[in-house]
Amino acid sequence: MRTYFSDLPKTALGASYWLFAVYLVLPLALMMAMSFKDANFIAFPIGNWTLDWYGKVLHDKQFLAASLYSIGIALATTICATIIGVWIALLVSAENIWGKSAIFALACLPAVVPGLINAISMRIFIRAVDIPTGTFAIILSHTVHAVPFVVIMVLTRLRSMPANLVDAARDLGADPFVAFLRVTIPYLMPALLGGMIFCVLTSIDDFVRTFFLGGYQPTLPMLIFAKVQGGMSPEINAMATIVLVVTTAVGLYAEYLTRRSRS
Amino acid sequence: MQPVVHFKNVNKLYGELPAVENLDLAIEPGQFVTLLGPSGCGKSTTLRMLGGFEDLTSGEIYLDGKPISHLPPHKRNVNIVFQDYALFPHLTVRRNIAFGLELKGMASGAIHKRVTELLSLVALQDYAERMPAQLSGGQRQRVALMRALAPDPNVLLLDEPLSALDAKLRQQMQIELKTIQQRTGKTFIFVTHDQEEALTMSDVIVVMNKGRIEQIGKPSELYARPHSRFVADFIGQSNLLECTIVSVAGTVGTFDWRGNVVHADVIGSTAMPGAHATLALRPETLYCLTAKPEGRLALKGRIVHRVFKGAHTSITVALENGTSLVVQLDPVALSHIEGDAVWVGWRERDAVLLAS
Repeated sequence: MRTYFSDLPKTALGASYWLFAVYLVLPLALMMAMSFKDANFIAFPIGNWTLDWYGKVLHDKQFLAASLYSIGIALATTICATIIGVWIALLVSAENIWGKSAIFALACLPAVVPGLINAISMRIFIRAVDIPTGTFAIILSHTVHAVPFVVIMVLTRLRSMPANLVDAARDLGADPFVAFLRVTIPYLMPALLGGMIFCVLTSIDDFVRTFFLGGYQPTLPMLIFAKVQGGMSPEINAMATIVLVVTTAVGLYAEYLTRRSRS
Repeated sequence: MQPVVHFKNVNKLYGELPAVENLDLAIEPGQFVTLLGPSGCGKSTTLRMLGGFEDLTSGEIYLDGKPISHLPPHKRNVNIVFQDYALFPHLTVRRNIAFGLELKGMASGAIHKRVTELLSLVALQDYAERMPAQLSGGQRQRVALMRALAPDPNVLLLDEPLSALDAKLRQQMQIELKTIQQRTGKTFIFVTHDQEEALTMSDVIVVMNKGRIEQIGKPSELYARPHSRFVADFIGQSNLLECTIVSVAGTVGTFDWRGNVVHADVIGSTAMPGAHATLALRPETLYCLTAKPEGRLALKGRIVHRVFKGAHTSITVALENGTSLVVQLDPVALSHIEGDAVWVGWRERDAVLLAS
């Protein structure tokens, strides 16, 4: 008994953790469960199970178009953010650059600025320079938001890179560009992969920026939002479940790749 | 013979601080040359200037008679073995060694053949497809060496490559390095702060201190005839005697050492009577006797310290003139203990008059 009581804080910590886990998972589980319900409204008990909602979603032209649109924006964002992020990380890690910490702080600012502020300022900006709302504007703002994550991940990896690696490549006959391609990039690969997956996921997930900057074509979150406005139905649950499963799979795969290339 | 590497009046400043000063050094082809000195003596900077990783403040470096100080590292036909090996972690052993060959545009068949050949030189044929992380320290060392040798450089530069290895492995690698150097006939320039390493492997040792060359010579010359107090102290162990010159007769000088009269060779010295001088004595050249010998130098003292070191025993003798000498003895020949009164002396040719 004594050991039991002396372990009380530990037990309490463990119990509260599991409570939190339930709180995290329960809504997701409910959402997934409802997507299999053979009825038009969301409520317990489920009664009859069906896969019809999934069939409906997969044949829903709007859903497919919105998904493709979101993925397209995410890919464009990822490419831009990775190029800019790697470039800034290299700049900041270089030994003697004037205003190094200012560059770093500026690049990371969008990570802490609220999405709403970012969206409004971007909206004002594109009006001022006469860029129409729509795809390009969305990619612009998603990129600004994604860059800090690439910078931080790449910079962390760069700092763990032995300085001699690039020297060794140069010594063996590589000019600076070849050394970068053949040594620095492969070394950064785990961080690049992680950063890129992160870019894709934040871009697909984003609602606020897209809402302020989007045109007539809806991205996936906007489509789901519009549908929710029209009333909840298990079809929305099915859509959300598909998004959840796909993003989780991508995230886990990225984690696996990162771990493998590190070991 | 034209030197393969020639530093001409090379200076390197970091801000105001000189790292290398007025370096003049010519290195003959096919030699194992060691730059030896304590940390911060400029030896690594010298190597990095030759490799192209540090700019010269002034002067010029010639490789095979051609000035190279304006060339970037990838255009110089020298290769470096780095201190931490710097193997590419994402490439296999084979691809690591092939790296320089690929950049030279060699055909893949020829590369395969050359890499296999190099791997067999260090008995690593079975490790070709391993990643660097899967190798031991000694194996990584060998791969780094072969990677640097692969493009067939004029000169191979080695920047303290053995410092990360344990003592046993280090001795083994010293012999291996020397063997590879002799077999390939390449010029090796080896940087180290370890005098034992330098003595073991080198044809020529360049002792550096505070950015300047202290002395250049064969290992045995440096050991037997150090020019300066720094060299006498840095290579091996020395007893340093602060004396005044009394007289010089031919090649033998007479010195006053705290009231004792001692003799030493003064060949090549321009020291004048009355001047201050420093004599260096290796501990193993001193003799230590229990009775006063006739006709030989003998200074009376008492053993204050005794250290058994396996192959020899080192004793410290406090002399009546207030100083002390370290004497290295064969452990079986004498079994003095602390507190014993002894007579210490040396043959005059074993005392070296230092220039500074």
